[in-house]
Amino acid sequence: MENSDSSNKGSTDQSEAQRRSQLDRLDREEAFYHFVNNLSEEDYRLMRDNNLLGTPGEITEEELLRRLQQIKEGPPQQSSEDSRAGAESTEDVSNGDSIIDWLNSVRQTGNTTRSGQRGNQSWRAVSRTNPNSGDFRFSLEINVNRSNGNPNPETEAEPSVEPSSGEDLENNQSDTETPRSESPPVVRQSGSEMSPPEEVNEEAFPQRGQRRSRSRSPEQRRTRARTDRSRSPLNPVSEPPRRTHHNTSPPMPDVSPAIEAEGSSRTRQHMVIRQHATTSEMPSENAVLLSAAEARPAPQAVASAETNGNTETTPSGQRPPTIVLDLQVRRVRPGEYRQRDSIANRTRSRSQTPNNTVTYESERGGFRRTFSRSERAGVRTYVSTIRIPIRRILNTGLSETTSVAIQTMLRQIMTGFGELSYFMYSDSDADPGGPAPNPNVEMTEPPSGNSSSSNEVPDPGSGESYESNNEVGAVAGTRREGRNARGSVTFEESGSLPFLSLAQFFLLNEEDDDQPRGLTKEQIDNLAMRNFGESDALKTCSVCITEYTEGNKLRKLPCSHEYHVHCIDRWLSENSTCPICRRAVLASSNRESVV
Amino acid sequence: MQRASRLRRELHLLTTEPPPGITCWQNESGLDHLRAQILGSADTPYEKGVFDLEVLVPLRYPFEPPKMRFLTPIYHPNIDSSGRICLDVLRLPPKGAWRPSLNIATLLTSIQLLMNEPNPDDPLMADISSEYKYNKQAFLRNARQWTEKYACQTTMFQTSKTPDEEKHQTEANPLRDSNISQKRKGSNISRFSKKLCSET
Repeated sequence: MENSDSSNKGSTDQSEAQRRSQLDRLDREEAFYHFVNNLSEEDYRLMRDNNLLGTPGEITEEELLRRLQQIKEGPPQQSSEDSRAGAESTEDVSNGDSIIDWLNSVRQTGNTTRSGQRGNQSWRAVSRTNPNSGDFRFSLEINVNRSNGNPNPETEAEPSVEPSSGEDLENNQSDTETPRSESPPVVRQSGSEMSPPEEVNEEAFPQRGQRRSRSRSPEQRRTRARTDRSRSPLNPVSEPPRRTHHNTSPPMPDVSPAIEAEGSSRTRQHMVIRQHATTSEMPSENAVLLSAAEARPAPQAVASAETNGNTETTPSGQRPPTIVLDLQVRRVRPGEYRQRDSIANRTRSRSQTPNNTVTYESERGGFRRTFSRSERAGVRTYVSTIRIPIRRILNTGLSETTSVAIQTMLRQIMTGFGELSYFMYSDSDADPGGPAPNPNVEMTEPPSGNSSSSNEVPDPGSGESYESNNEVGAVAGTRREGRNARGSVTFEESGSLPFLSLAQFFLLNEEDDDQPRGLTKEQIDNLAMRNFGESDALKTCSVCITEYTEGNKLRKLPCSHEYHVHCIDRWLSENSTCPICRRAVLASSNRESVV
Repeated sequence: MQRASRLRRELHLLTTEPPPGITCWQNESGLDHLRAQILGSADTPYEKGVFDLEVLVPLRYPFEPPKMRFLTPIYHPNIDSSGRICLDVLRLPPKGAWRPSLNIATLLTSIQLLMNEPNPDDPLMADISSEYKYNKQAFLRNARQWTEKYACQTTMFQTSKTPDEEKHQTEANPLRDSNISQKRKGSNISRFSKKLCSET
C-alpha cells in the first residue's frame, strides 16, 4: 500500500479516498467477525445456510443483525403471499406457493415429509437429503380434486388413441423404430435405458454402455419426443424452434470429447450404474402410485376437462388425476458432468444466446429442462439437465388445466433453479420405458415468442399444454414473487431465490472443468467445533491470516487443523481437503483427494 | 471472504519481508491488481533477468487462487507466449493444488522454483519442452537469449539493485510494458523465427 502511494503521487486524492474506503471496510470486517463470533451455533447455521452472511467488510453489523432477525421471524411466506396478490394470481400459482413454502422448509430440515392442501389440490411431498453424497431428492404427489378453472383456450386435438399403460412399452419401441427422416436412424438398442438386458450389458461393460447411453440416448429421446408429436397434431408455431435446435446441434463434433471424457474414472462408472439404479427403481414406485390413484374415485376431474375447451372427449368415469413428481438434485461431479454433458445438450446450449439459457424439452411422460449458461461470451458452457417425469395416471382423465397448474408449478420450481448462478444437475428419474406416454403433455407447444417476455426462459421444446400468454404471465408473476421474496431478505448475492438456498451446496466453481466438490452442510456441521479460549496458544487462521481471538469459533478438521468456522465452511462448501495438509476431510472422498 | 484484510496483511508481509528474489506491490489501479517481479536465479538461463508478473486477486480470494501471468516474455516449457503459467498451485482442486493457506508470496516462490526447475512432462509449450528434454543446450541458449532480449533490457546497467530501485525503475519506464505487449502480439511470429534461428 505504501508503495502504491509513493509511486502514485499524482493521484493522492484518489488513493486517499481508496484508503479511507478500505479502512471502512476493515472496520466492517472487524464487526463481521465480532458478529459471527457472537452468534449462537444455531443462528450461525441458519444464516450461513440462507446465504445471509455475505462478505465480511461489505455489510454492516446492523444489516447482519437485521437479516438474522428477518430470517428468524420466518421464511418469506409472508412476502410471497403479498406479492402473489400483485402477481396474476391463478390457482396454479398459489399451488406453487405452497410447494415453495414447503421447499423453504426443506432446506432447513433435510428429511421431511409434508403434505398439504391448497385450493383444490392436495399434495404430499417427501424430501430426503443424503448427507454423504449431498444428493437432494424430493418427490411430490399432487392430487387435483376438481378443476381450478384455468382456461386453456388453446384447443388441442387429442389423439384418439391413448395407449394404455400395458401397451405402452411396445409403443415406445415402435416410436423409436419410426423416427423422423431428419433424425439419424436411432437404433433400437440405444434405448438401452429401458430394456433391462441392455442395462446388464452396460454394467458389465461400463465403458461401452456409458457411451451409448451418453451419446445416443439424448438423440433417441428427442426422436421419441418427436415421434410422439408426429402422432399427435402439432402446434405448428412451435415446430420450427425445435427443428432449429436440431439443426444447430450436429451431434458428431462432440462425440470425441465424450469418448475422451470416458477416460474411465471410477466415479463416473459408478455414477452410471447409479443412474441405472434409479431408473430401474422408478417404475415400480410409479406403479405403486398408479394403482393407488386408480383406487380413488374422482368425479371432479370431468369438470376441468370441460372448462378448458379441449376437443378431448370428456373423460367419463375418471379417477382423480394424480401427478407424481420426482426430483433429484445432485451435485455435479466432474466425471458426471461430462457424462451428462451429452452431445445433444451441449450443442443445443451453444445454439442459444450466451446468456443464461433455459430450455424445456418435452419428453415422453414428462418434460425435461436443460439450462445452461455460457460465461464470458461463450467461452465455456455448462449444461445441466433437470428431467421431471410427470405421470398422467389416467389415460384420458387428466384435464389440461390440471397439467397447466402442475407444470406451472414445476416451472416455478425449475425456474428458480435456473435462476441460480450455480449449476446443478438433477438426476432424472424418468423411466423412459414407463407407461402412460402423455400426448397431452407432448402435444402442444408454446410459441417460441415466449422467450422474449419471460426473459431467459425460451421454451422451444416444451411439450406443455397451456395457453402460452397466460403461462408467461404466470411465470413472470412467479418470478416477481421470487424476487420479492428475495428482496425481503435482502440478498446481496443476486440470483438466488430464498427457497433454493440449499443449492449453495451444489455450488460449482466456474473456473475449472474439473469442478471441485465440496461437502454438504450436514457434513460440515458434523465436524468438530470449539471456541478459542484464552489459554490457547496464539494461533492464526491460515485462511484469513488472522490470529484467533478469544471467543472465536474454530472448526477442527480430522487432520486436527483448525480454522475459523466461517473461513473453513466456505472452503469446504466447495472443496473437500484441508487447506493446510490437503488431506481429505471425509474418509470417503479419499480417492478423490489430491495426490 | 477475508479478502481485504488478508490482502492487506499479505502486502504488508511482502513489503517488509519479501522472499528472496521476489518483489510484489500494489498496482495503481487498486487493491486487487498487483505487480510482481521475480529475479532469475543464478545458474539458470534466466540469471540476471527481471521478470514482471501480473497478479490479479479474484473476488473470492483466498478461496480461489490469484491469477498470475508473466508480462515479460520468457522461454520456458511451462509458460506460454502470453505469459500463462502451468502450475498446479495456481489452479483450484481437484485438478490444481491451490488452497487458502497458500498466499501470494508462496505462489511467487513456486513460480520462481518452476523457473529453476521446468517440468517438461507437463508442458504448455510442447516445442520448448521437447527441446528442454532432448536438446538441453539449445534450450539453454534460447532461454538465455530471451532473457537477455526481454528481461535484461532496462536492467543491464544495474549491478546490484534493491527491490525498491527495481520497482521505481519499472515504473519510470512505462514504455517498457507497451513494448513488451507489442512484442507479445507478434509473439507467435517471433517464436517461429526463434525456432528457425535455433534450427539454422
